[in-house]
Amino acid sequence: MIEIKNLTKVYKLSKKQMQERKTKNNFKKAADSVSLSANKGELYGLLGPNGAGKTTILRCVATLLQPTEGEITVCGFDTVKEPENVRKSIAFLTNEIKLDPQFSPKFMFHFFGKLHGMDDSTINKRREMLFGYFGINDFQDKKINELSTGMKQKASIAVSLVHDPEVIIFDEPTNGLDIVTARSVTDYLKKMKEEGKLVIVSTHIMSEAEKLCDRIGIIISGQKVAEGTLPELLTQTGTNDLEDAFFELYKEHNVEEA
Amino acid sequence: MNGMKQIIKKELNRVFTDKKLIVSLFILPAVLVVGMYFFIGKMQTAMIDDIENHISSVYIQNEPEGFRDIVEISGFSANIQYMNEKEDVTEIKNGILNGTTDLLVVFEDDFLNKVENYNAGGNIPDVKTFYNPSEEYSGTARNNFLTQVLGIYQQQLLIERFGDLSQLTAFTIDAGPEESEIVDNEKATGKIAGTLLPYFITLMLFSGAMSLGVDAITGEKERGTMASMLLTPLKRKEIVLGKLFSLSILSSLSAAIYAIAMIISIPALLKNLTGGDQEGFNLSFTPVQMIELLAIMLSLVFLYVSIVSLAAVLARTAKEAATFVSPLMIIVMLAGMITMFTGNGVRQLITYAIPVYGSAISIQDLLVGELSLAKFGLTIGGTIAVALILVALIVRAFNSEKVMFNA
Repeated sequence: MIEIKNLTKVYKLSKKQMQERKTKNNFKKAADSVSLSANKGELYGLLGPNGAGKTTILRCVATLLQPTEGEITVCGFDTVKEPENVRKSIAFLTNEIKLDPQFSPKFMFHFFGKLHGMDDSTINKRREMLFGYFGINDFQDKKINELSTGMKQKASIAVSLVHDPEVIIFDEPTNGLDIVTARSVTDYLKKMKEEGKLVIVSTHIMSEAEKLCDRIGIIISGQKVAEGTLPELLTQTGTNDLEDAFFELYKEHNVEEA
Repeated sequence: MNGMKQIIKKELNRVFTDKKLIVSLFILPAVLVVGMYFFIGKMQTAMIDDIENHISSVYIQNEPEGFRDIVEISGFSANIQYMNEKEDVTEIKNGILNGTTDLLVVFEDDFLNKVENYNAGGNIPDVKTFYNPSEEYSGTARNNFLTQVLGIYQQQLLIERFGDLSQLTAFTIDAGPEESEIVDNEKATGKIAGTLLPYFITLMLFSGAMSLGVDAITGEKERGTMASMLLTPLKRKEIVLGKLFSLSILSSLSAAIYAIAMIISIPALLKNLTGGDQEGFNLSFTPVQMIELLAIMLSLVFLYVSIVSLAAVLARTAKEAATFVSPLMIIVMLAGMITMFTGNGVRQLITYAIPVYGSAISIQDLLVGELSLAKFGLTIGGTIAVALILVALIVRAFNSEKVMFNA
């Protein structure tokens, strides 16, 4: 379903950015030869500290960024050569991507359904199902800027899933959510996996990764330093829980930028 | 192209479901334009009335014999005080400077004698007027005094000297001015409109595009809502065209409302100024001219929307976009203004292909009925060609991760 081969993403830094980062290098390697593959019916987690490169990798998969080196295929489509086909088969959710605050969740759901080329009756069926599951019906006609953070996140999730995609990529999906809303989101991700979809999440919350993910890839300083099921990672690092395993790997691989 | 249609629908929806936007984009400008012209007209009428109703304070020193009668007969209404030659005028001059006194008229000593005993080549006696040109009351008082009093007085003295004044006129020029004006009234009106209209049209269209374009593109980038659209299977080109067409529709609408407001208010303004006399101001179009004007304006809107959109997509914040767009607006204003000063001289055909300027001179030509098909074609062609280049650049910018995600 998703195949990443030697993905390297280099950002050029402006003089201002170089000053901010206190570095003399005019580039930053956000992803460094990352390879991974994930399949149908799997919940794959990318675990790493802030700024490790998780979002960059996911953005490359979602066709928003182009790899500097390497290649990525999603459902058999190359992200550079056939970006439209890739976008048809994925849902991508991140904190920085938002819904137009002037519209209602219902309007946005319909709008994005149309952009995905769906007909009205299919859109309505999907809406009833997703709005019902996330409890959006009560505020579906309210403007998004009048909603609470949790309501907004639920609406964003529902809208991103309008076209019933094969691959669901959520970047830190429970960030900023209360425990009840966070639980409904993770439950839905599990449900998607059970329906045979591929779900990829990025997180820096250990407990979430531990409970949720079938396999975990640990990203530190742009590199994938370990990958496997939870027991595999614990054995590999000789630790008892994911947090300890992560810190072992972090100590070993974290390189401060020059 | 379904995606493009959806985006246009959404953009129009965004504006028309937001009461504040409707008011600020469409209603407020119209009310302001009408209100402004009405206000200017009222103010001007009030000013004219005020000057007419003002009773001037005039001092006349050393007036010749019989002059008081002349003043009385002339109908010159003012508060006049006569002085003899020995009285000091310093205070009166100070009054003129301060605006409390309007006019001081001083006759030479022995004025009448000097006039009567004038011999060819001798000194001509002088009447001095002291007034303040920066004071409306003072200037008007002097003008009225010259035409109503001194002019008549001089004529009377000349009649005494020569008997028949016609002797002093060798020939007349245009004794009947109406006959000598050979003019096509419509073209004359077109010429007046042609100096102003291109500038206003240009400005109105650009200001509409500016306020909308920055929000629809930079605003969406800033809010993170653009990215959600970039994640759909649409090609970037479709998103760009959807944005540009919806902005063009909204800008045209905003400009049309401005135009209607102006059409409604200009006659009111003229009426205030001329006291209801509007004869000769009749501007009418043939259907072909109307279609041509519409086509020129629509192509211009599309060009402006493209200019604003390119600036908006390259800007990271709305503030940055505003700093990009402001100098562009000045250039556009200048191009529109050129028509105010260049008149309708013969221009090289190729100049019609210069964007903005070409449209301005085409509108000017159209108003006097001199827009040929070649000129019209070059104008539209030049404008669309540049707009398409800009569209290509915008699509490129939409594809650039550096521009869209600051990556």
